[in-house]
Amino acid sequence: MKRYVMTIDLRRCVGCQTCTAACKSTNATPPGIQWRRVLDLETGEFPDVRRTFLPIACMHCGNPPCEQVCPTKATTKRADGLVAIDYDLCIGCANCVMACPYDARSIVHESHFAYGDTPMPSEAKRFDPSRVGVSMKCTFCVDRIDEAAVTGRTPGVHPEVTPACVNSCISGAMQFGDIEDSESNVSRLLGETQHYRMHEELGTEPSVYYIWDQS
Amino acid sequence: MAVVQSKSVKHVPTFCYNCVSGPDFMSVKVEDGVATDIEPNFAAAEVHPAKGKVCVKAYGLVQKTYNPNRILSPMKRTNPKKGRNEDPGFVAISWEEALDIVAQKLNAARAKGLVDAAGLPRVAVSLGHGGTPSNYMGTFPAFLAAWGAVDYSFGSGQGVKCVHSEHLYGEFWHRGFTVAADTPNARYVIAVGANVDVTGGPCAVIRHADARVRGYKRVQVEPHLTVTGACSAEWVPIRPKTDPAFLFALIHVLVCEHGLTKLDIPFLRDRTASPYLVAPDGLYLRDPQSGKPLIWDEVSGAAVTHDTPGAQPAVAGCYRVAHAVVVDADKERREYADVEGKTAYEMLARHIEKYTPEWAETICDVKAATIRRIANEYLENASIGATIDIDGKTLPLRPVAVTLGKSVNNGWGAYECCWARTVLAALVGALENPGGLVGTTVRLNKSRDNRHLGVAPGEDGFMVQYFNPTSKEDWQTEPATRNLHQSLVPIVGHNGAWSQALGPTQLAWMFQGERPDDWTMPMPTLPEVWIVYRSNPSISFWDTRRLAEIAARFPFMACVAYTVDETNYMADVLLPEATDLESTQMIRMGGTKYMEQFWDYKGVVLRQKAVEPQGDARDFTWITTELAKRTNLLDPYVKAINKGISGVSPLKGEGYDFSLDPAGELAPEKIWDAVCRAASLTLSGGREEHDLDWFREHGFYAVPMSRLEWYLTPTMEKHGLRYELPYQERLLRIGRELGNRLHEKNMNWWDEQLSEYAALPEWHDVPARWVRNLERSGAKIEDFPFWLLTTKSMQYHAGGNAGIEMMHEVALNLRGHAGVIMNAKTAASLGIADGDRVEVRSHIGATYGKAALVQGIRPDTLVIIGQFDHWAQPFAKDLDIPSLNTIAPMALDLTDATGSGADIVRVAVRRVEVPA
Repeated sequence: MKRYVMTIDLRRCVGCQTCTAACKSTNATPPGIQWRRVLDLETGEFPDVRRTFLPIACMHCGNPPCEQVCPTKATTKRADGLVAIDYDLCIGCANCVMACPYDARSIVHESHFAYGDTPMPSEAKRFDPSRVGVSMKCTFCVDRIDEAAVTGRTPGVHPEVTPACVNSCISGAMQFGDIEDSESNVSRLLGETQHYRMHEELGTEPSVYYIWDQS
Repeated sequence: MAVVQSKSVKHVPTFCYNCVSGPDFMSVKVEDGVATDIEPNFAAAEVHPAKGKVCVKAYGLVQKTYNPNRILSPMKRTNPKKGRNEDPGFVAISWEEALDIVAQKLNAARAKGLVDAAGLPRVAVSLGHGGTPSNYMGTFPAFLAAWGAVDYSFGSGQGVKCVHSEHLYGEFWHRGFTVAADTPNARYVIAVGANVDVTGGPCAVIRHADARVRGYKRVQVEPHLTVTGACSAEWVPIRPKTDPAFLFALIHVLVCEHGLTKLDIPFLRDRTASPYLVAPDGLYLRDPQSGKPLIWDEVSGAAVTHDTPGAQPAVAGCYRVAHAVVVDADKERREYADVEGKTAYEMLARHIEKYTPEWAETICDVKAATIRRIANEYLENASIGATIDIDGKTLPLRPVAVTLGKSVNNGWGAYECCWARTVLAALVGALENPGGLVGTTVRLNKSRDNRHLGVAPGEDGFMVQYFNPTSKEDWQTEPATRNLHQSLVPIVGHNGAWSQALGPTQLAWMFQGERPDDWTMPMPTLPEVWIVYRSNPSISFWDTRRLAEIAARFPFMACVAYTVDETNYMADVLLPEATDLESTQMIRMGGTKYMEQFWDYKGVVLRQKAVEPQGDARDFTWITTELAKRTNLLDPYVKAINKGISGVSPLKGEGYDFSLDPAGELAPEKIWDAVCRAASLTLSGGREEHDLDWFREHGFYAVPMSRLEWYLTPTMEKHGLRYELPYQERLLRIGRELGNRLHEKNMNWWDEQLSEYAALPEWHDVPARWVRNLERSGAKIEDFPFWLLTTKSMQYHAGGNAGIEMMHEVALNLRGHAGVIMNAKTAASLGIADGDRVEVRSHIGATYGKAALVQGIRPDTLVIIGQFDHWAQPFAKDLDIPSLNTIAPMALDLTDATGSGADIVRVAVRRVEVPA
């Protein structure tokens, strides 16, 4: 059984938002909707200040609170670890938006575009009406993961079947792969580094691991 | 309505060169003829240090293509009045009419002669953002070469307000137009304002990330905690513009506290002018017969010429010389008998003695203990004596560097900083050696693609220089350009294609208004034709409101336009170009280029038409060819293309001839096909020929390159040359000579700048220059208690992509991006809360935005990111983002000897009430 996870090396991230933009570009999210973004956080007081960049998105939890509160079973946990939304089943009730401790979900009630009401050709080409009025979030580029199952290529190794954010990351902060495979890039990396998961204490069992230097 | 499955999907390889740190590779996803996505080009992962990836900016190129605010047909102005408050009344016209209008103006100018009565070119061209337009303007350079005299004086800010002094001094000392740490080998970097994780592009980002994981240490010295500071091991919040004092103190610790025995003596002795003997008058003691500088030979115990075989030069000390001469400005020769000569190193040691860390603490607001610790860490990590093998050659390994950022390495104080950091590298042998400080490209010397070819023996054991003449016979008394670069700035030279553009371009703008009282040169005129490409000086320069007023006075202006913007608002004709994803051009890649673009490969990469141009936009190469036809310049234009001016290789070489015929077909595809074939044959040594179709499929062609090309010191060694460090005898002489010339013309208005020509720079109160500037205008310093600075963001390349919605959205994830960054405690004392609308006012105007309160900034400093405050460009004009450029003055007294200034101004800040 596979379980896909993402690792994010905070020692590498420079907060450039390339992953944010790549996600928006690949997934054609409307203005203001970011399935992932990089937080710019500051701690301390001048002159003893730390500024940290923290990429966040859906954590594809092993025990997802969003799934538990979904009244229509639109949100489901897949066998490979991905948390998926069936737009046909979603009624846009926003229970999941409220339940998610990672602020990872959003709902667009009306379609809008980068420069007003009229879509540009690139927006018109990819406008998906089924995403209006339903809950949306990072999918781990599920279509690519599904393609991997068909083609036999390996997510995290072959770019065609790797999430767009991971492909785009110019600092090499993000990796993706099967944590159940002890030889995968993510398993090796997690074996060599210090890491944590966000809000692990909530029992959500996130699939995103943050690598950092605790010292 | 549901998502319709695309019938055809293709991935088109191309490049992004939107900022100076390109090119980077990308692939455009095209669905049924519509560009929908930008992706990395992983086919280039091996040859590209950034593994085939592009930064955030490139992801905005799809929106750039389909932005409904684009100019999509040629336009002409119908309102003859020009100004910010005058609607240009642009109306669509045909290409025929637009090109005829421009050609008619060009032909009329040419008929009168290339230069006007003042000796200035009748045609001026402005190109934006650090030379990046040349990677998009196709064959336009060939047209300019065919035209003849063109004035590039009207800059848009690049150069003078970028990293100008570094360009000039870096190239002078070590052929480093841009200077970087050898990050792949670095162990310790002191970054003084260098925001490389923002400006260095994907190559720098991945290298520094690798280095952090590897355990290198970067100390970030800057008033505001930038992105790069955030990613550094330590932040040192220095007082603005006091960086020279900090760097002088580092030198003090190395030279005066550790001493010569702890430094790299062989490097100082053999590769620098440290042993040259200096007379009491500050000039080199020279051999009376040969005129060569003298050194003290420890073998013979006598003064001998610097190139005496077998001599063992003394690096430190004072020595009696029986007979010598010095050569001063204007070749004035003086004889000395039994004179004491101090070595240049000795001069440095005595000079730097007073600049202790304790002294610097009072200037910089950085603890002496911190300065001393950093200096000690730098020296320790230099690992003097260590070596590394690179491609079979053993070289010194000196993994330390000091890097400088914008506004540190330009404007007053920048000479001192550039000198100090280069001396710091020389002291430990890290200059142009593995791990150390490296130059990455040349633009003021030839060849621009191989800086090693710019190294040849010159005067006094140094490499050859091509300074603008300051002798009585050859000094340019009547400037040939409106920025006076050949008359005022010897070091910018005349040997490189960029020499003119690197002149003091603010003078070109300023002197269209007021000139100094004792101005005795011909009165500067306006060019009859002004062509602007990818440039918006009315946003990107200083005092931008005034600059726009000056731009409105130009008699004829043709702009290659994307959208209406603040500069082309004054245009007579707008020419819409096919943009990044719609046009074709081949450029060079790899080798060693700007910033941290030093690769293991070199080659060429194609930008290609991924999608058809929107509307009636045309490829710039087509536009250029049409202009060449209409100005009867087709022959010289094609000759220039054949020579390789607009491409990457001459179209005729050994064993191949793809020369174009001026009478033949000259479609862009035909031109670039010839360039593709010539380039691939040249790079492969005649083994492989690839046409345009091949490049359309593969995107690029690369061949391996030795890392030895990253380092200049082996080349210096091969030629037996020394770096002209630490003592600047040549600059001292040239400055005196320039002073003589100006004073002979009864001009004293450049005297302050002449003070910068010092053999060993002294600390002077650099920040006080900005204080004096406002006091001269009648303002009081107490009314402007803060320093306002600016910093770049990766999402924007200057102001160029300010109209792209997605960039704005993602940039807002970064703190303070669209506002005024200020210290939270300071803000509280002024009653300003986070998000409050504030006015930031200097003595020339005000700019407005939301307060962004942070801890990571000095209490006396404000920062506004980027270049905004648009008032004409659609989308951008509605952002309500402030800009330092609106309120930073253009002024002679803020211009240093190289002609540069800095993005800094004294300001007041207050909360303003928002109308209900």
